[in-house]
Amino acid sequence: MTIANEGSSIMADDHTHNEPPSDTAMRVKALETLLTEKGLLDPAAIDALVETYETRIGPRNGARVVARAWTDPDYRQRLLEDGTKAIAELGFSGVQGEDMVVVENTGDVHNMVVCTLCSCYPWPTLGLPPIWFKSAPYRARAVIDPRGVLKEFGVELSEDVELRVWDSNAELRYLVLPQRPAGTEGMSEDELAELVSRDSMIGTALADAPAG
Amino acid sequence: MPALTPEIVPGLVAGGASCRMDAEIAPRFKVGDRVTARIVNPMSHTRLPRYIRGKTGTVARDHGVFALPDSSVCGVHSDPQHVYSVRFEADHLWGEHANANSSLYIDLFDVYIDPA
Repeated sequence: MTIANEGSSIMADDHTHNEPPSDTAMRVKALETLLTEKGLLDPAAIDALVETYETRIGPRNGARVVARAWTDPDYRQRLLEDGTKAIAELGFSGVQGEDMVVVENTGDVHNMVVCTLCSCYPWPTLGLPPIWFKSAPYRARAVIDPRGVLKEFGVELSEDVELRVWDSNAELRYLVLPQRPAGTEGMSEDELAELVSRDSMIGTALADAPAG
Repeated sequence: MPALTPEIVPGLVAGGASCRMDAEIAPRFKVGDRVTARIVNPMSHTRLPRYIRGKTGTVARDHGVFALPDSSVCGVHSDPQHVYSVRFEADHLWGEHANANSSLYIDLFDVYIDPA
């Protein structure tokens, strides 16, 4: 009977067949199951964490920091002197942002951040790192050939501009303060924040030019 | 009661856990000092990447005192060290293949470096 049932189940099986889950997905599922069965984890906590980083914590937070620094010279000063404290003023503190350093792009210096050892990243201001930030090619090439990497991101940096690469290998987390684009005089803080992309705060992009 | 519940997630996320330590330790180096990263090959955890070992750079900033992760992972929960931002010139790290006008800043624990 069982075999017959299985047979009929296969015959009736008209759903789309997917590839089996990846090794990583299987390992994550196994860990989650184990932690739950041992009573260490309420699976609803995972949902709460995912929801937090999908809806509340992400690069729009960092954009607020940048827009404030562009419009308030005293804030910019505080931000460059003590990033952690100045970012906390706007409420963006927490896990993986405990000790922050903000580095400023100018006409003479462009900054770019990488974690060559793993994927260290300032979560409270930028959210979780994009896949490419964690990839071996970015981690290797960002230190050896940063100008080449920048070019692939669409940024042609003049050799007159010093390129500083920051390897966030230890306990400090880095946020790039991009240059305020030309033609944004008179724009409000909210409007300016719209020009600040995630990548511009990693240093693999410039802030967007104002629309038209 | 599980250790991780939805109720504690907001506090956990907002609080974090800094590895900065209050210990009063005199820094061995100051901004401008030339330092060379040690050539070591530990079998356990380290935050000293291979591409920096044996290279000489300049202390750019003293970040203060942090717990050394190399010790923390071995169960030693208090090995406070100064962490310095050290600047290395790209041509010193990468030779003829280095990008022009480029530098690399990396955070090095006191135990990773010696006077150059």
